[in-house]
Amino acid sequence: MMTKPSVAIYWASSCGGCEISAANLHEHLLDFDANFQLVFCPCLVDAKVADVRAMADESIDVTLFNGAIRTDENVEMAHLLRRKSKVLVAYGACASSGSIPALSNLHSRDAHFKAIYADNPSIDNPDGVVPAVRTQMPEGELKLPRFHDRVKTLAQTVDVDYFVPGCPPESHQLWAILDLLIRGAELPPKGSILGGGRKSVCDECLRERKDKKIDRIRRPYEFVPDPKDCLLEQGMLCMGIATRDGCGALCPQANMPCNGCYGPPEGVLDQGAKMVGTLGSIIDIEPLKGLSEAAIREHVDRVLDGMPDYAGTFYKFTLAASLLEGARPRSGSEVPE
Amino acid sequence: MRVGVYFCNCGPNISEKIDSESVHRSVEGVPGFGYFRTVDFLCSSTGTEEMENDLRNEKPDRVVVAACSVRDHEETFREVMSHAGLNPFLMQMVNIREHIAWVTADREQATAKASAQIRAAMKRVVLHEPLERKELDVNTGVLVIGSGPAGLKAALTLAEAGRKVYLVEKEPMIGGMPVRYEEMFPNIECGPCMLEPVMGEILHGPDAGNIELFTLSEVVEVVSSYGNFSAKILRRPRGISSDLCIGCAMCIEACPASGPNPYNCGMNDKKALDFPFRGVLPNLPYIDRASCLRTSKGEDCTACRDACLVEGAVLLDEAEEVVTRSFGAIILATGGALMDCALLPNLGYGVVPDVLDALEFERVLAASGPTEGAIQTYSGTTPRNIAIIHCVGSLDSRHLNYCSGVCCEVAFKFNHLIAHKIEGASVTHFYKTIAVPGKEEFKLYDEAKGRETTRFVRYDDLSELSVSGGGLHKGISISFARGEGIEADPFDMVVLCPAVVPSEGTKKMLSLLELSVDRFGFAAEMHGRMDSAKGNVRGVFLAGACQSPMDVQKAVNQALAATGLALSGLVPGRKMIVEPVTAEVDPERCSACRSCIPVCPYKAISFDAERRVAIVNPVLCLGCGTCVAACPSGAIKGNHFTNEEILAEIAEVLI
Repeated sequence: MMTKPSVAIYWASSCGGCEISAANLHEHLLDFDANFQLVFCPCLVDAKVADVRAMADESIDVTLFNGAIRTDENVEMAHLLRRKSKVLVAYGACASSGSIPALSNLHSRDAHFKAIYADNPSIDNPDGVVPAVRTQMPEGELKLPRFHDRVKTLAQTVDVDYFVPGCPPESHQLWAILDLLIRGAELPPKGSILGGGRKSVCDECLRERKDKKIDRIRRPYEFVPDPKDCLLEQGMLCMGIATRDGCGALCPQANMPCNGCYGPPEGVLDQGAKMVGTLGSIIDIEPLKGLSEAAIREHVDRVLDGMPDYAGTFYKFTLAASLLEGARPRSGSEVPE
Repeated sequence: MRVGVYFCNCGPNISEKIDSESVHRSVEGVPGFGYFRTVDFLCSSTGTEEMENDLRNEKPDRVVVAACSVRDHEETFREVMSHAGLNPFLMQMVNIREHIAWVTADREQATAKASAQIRAAMKRVVLHEPLERKELDVNTGVLVIGSGPAGLKAALTLAEAGRKVYLVEKEPMIGGMPVRYEEMFPNIECGPCMLEPVMGEILHGPDAGNIELFTLSEVVEVVSSYGNFSAKILRRPRGISSDLCIGCAMCIEACPASGPNPYNCGMNDKKALDFPFRGVLPNLPYIDRASCLRTSKGEDCTACRDACLVEGAVLLDEAEEVVTRSFGAIILATGGALMDCALLPNLGYGVVPDVLDALEFERVLAASGPTEGAIQTYSGTTPRNIAIIHCVGSLDSRHLNYCSGVCCEVAFKFNHLIAHKIEGASVTHFYKTIAVPGKEEFKLYDEAKGRETTRFVRYDDLSELSVSGGGLHKGISISFARGEGIEADPFDMVVLCPAVVPSEGTKKMLSLLELSVDRFGFAAEMHGRMDSAKGNVRGVFLAGACQSPMDVQKAVNQALAATGLALSGLVPGRKMIVEPVTAEVDPERCSACRSCIPVCPYKAISFDAERRVAIVNPVLCLGCGTCVAACPSGAIKGNHFTNEEILAEIAEVLI
């Protein structure tokens, strides 16, 4: 009997949504079980890290690695699974580009610890205790994995074969990849993005578009958008124009703006910068021509008021993989890891 | 890949600050380095000859020239490349003179900077793609839209140069606004008489054969671009054959119907078949379909045809037609109009009788106007006391911020004509400021100032004035917030001098041609000072008040400027070079979001609704890269400035 190809699914710094996307395969789960052997998946299978260590190198056919790299444990597992896997896939936005965990790259580890463990009004911590790698307690020494100053992507940590975008990836896209493996089809070149298109979400969005000119940004609570017209043209900050297609434009179809979880389309280096560049181009400046500096400043302020959180809007899913990778401390003040 | 580096000493200009030997040592490690040459004056004839021979011998794949500014000599070295049989776009210039030698005090620093920039250029140039300039045949004909002084002068000058001209006018007559004016400032010349020589040449001068005139016509579609435009022109029926009619006016007498005459601002009626007013050119009447019994009431009236002395000259039931013409450039001369004075209700316009705007008053003054030139109130009396209000809407932050520039002159012309038509009549000028620039324009102002019956009253803001009263045997009172006894002195007539605004025709054409407009609705110029006769769509030139308020002199001069651009841009026998440094859309990756279309300053991008992709027209694209930056999905490539090329260059300098 031929052994079924083996698959591992691992979560690093993540929310579990990627596992849910796998569970969302629905009846394809039966096909999955028929065709693959799930050798390691802390969420679903009772296999331990020790079992993985015991496996021969490159004995796992495919590992779907989700979650960003935040701690020593994440790094260790990334290296371990890289070594044990023939194909390592950065699965989902966190592993691919940092996603939500990487928004913490706007501040240092110490600032986070201070906010969470010291200044947090719901925590009583008079001694200012913060997590430490080693803590001596009467019962013995407690150990925690080291918490890094910066969140990294999987590819910034180990060599990655493929990337699957999405927060989480759409289940039909996951199935398409699994189907590729079942059929034994030739895999695309290393480094390719699987489970996404080459264009932007607009390509899949059914809303009607005109030439873009917007007078101001309107936030979702301010109005109910017209269900037929382009959300961005209605002033809603829809990231669809600077986001890879492949999701089926689910959010815009539900009257919510795309928040960019599939990352930048092919050929775009930095999703946030691209979005800002495009917004700068399509915000209508025609009425400003000839106005006073003060009047122009007022208008610019009004436009900016519609965007209260630049990083959280433009880099929600890609900060770690962006050109800057996060906030850059002034030289000399960087906290050593 | 082998990169040849040419280092120009530019005599001492560069060599004093940058040591070519050190630069040589610093760049020879760059992958692809082929050879390094130091030349004293690379741009001189011996320098270029030496470079050409060297290129032939060395046969490099790419070339870096470290010398002066691209503006000075990029074209020179591209030519050398071409002569040596290399694609000229496989060369990258580094400006080590202006950017480094001239602005860096320390020789060591200058040398290090030059080395870094040359290394960056080498990293970039290996990514260059060979690009080809394309040549296009051009149509040297010109479409002139509007036949006011600007359009007429442009059309005639182009025809005299042997160019085919299509002159399109929406009215039945040519001449624009000035043919409606009895006299013109600053020299009290008759408007129609001043334009007659040009109009005569256009209609039957020696070069008239080069001009195809379309009256009662409108451009309804323009496609393609500079050098090869094509337009659809809608020709409305005149009802009179321009070939056969001799203008004898027998038909006019016979016409039983009449209606308000728009060319006299509706102040009197004219026949349904009539001239707009006496003396128009071409000397042809037209059928006003709104008042003709056949077209408005469906009656079977043939009175005009029955009265006509020339068989076939009256064309009852003529249909409108759409004709297509091809040409290479467009001169937009659709003119301005006056602001609607009803926007300032305190001035009584449209409510108080005998409050006229400047155009209405022009027609009152004209011998061809409703009163045959007699200044009369609506009840037929001769006014003794007339008020003229300046700056109606101009220089007014609540209306139009700009000074229209012509209204003061018009007001003083009115003063002159009133004094000559009504002996002893008094004229009061309500003014905010007086603007009469120019070497002749002071004369009418001086004359008004010297006239005993003329009074000047200065106001700060139009809201201080309130015009009321009027009607039979009642004077018009102008209450003035700070006035000294003005109320006691009722006026018989008030003339408003409104701001000049873009005409309806101008607005329509600007939108049809997709030209950018300024915040007042006038055509936006390529550059307000240095290129004010160019619109921002390549091949569309601007003349006259479609671009800004202006007088006849300026409009005609601008028309000649536009004509010069059309003549020098499109030369018979010369092909148009289409530069390859343009943007290109990858249709495989365009998601049809349409972000790029409005950002193009040259209107070079259109949307193909069928294929659902944006398309850049390479004739119109000037390669500025705005759309490349704006394209959110990275589907637009800037040829010769690709992301990869730029990033390779930056990375070498920064890292």
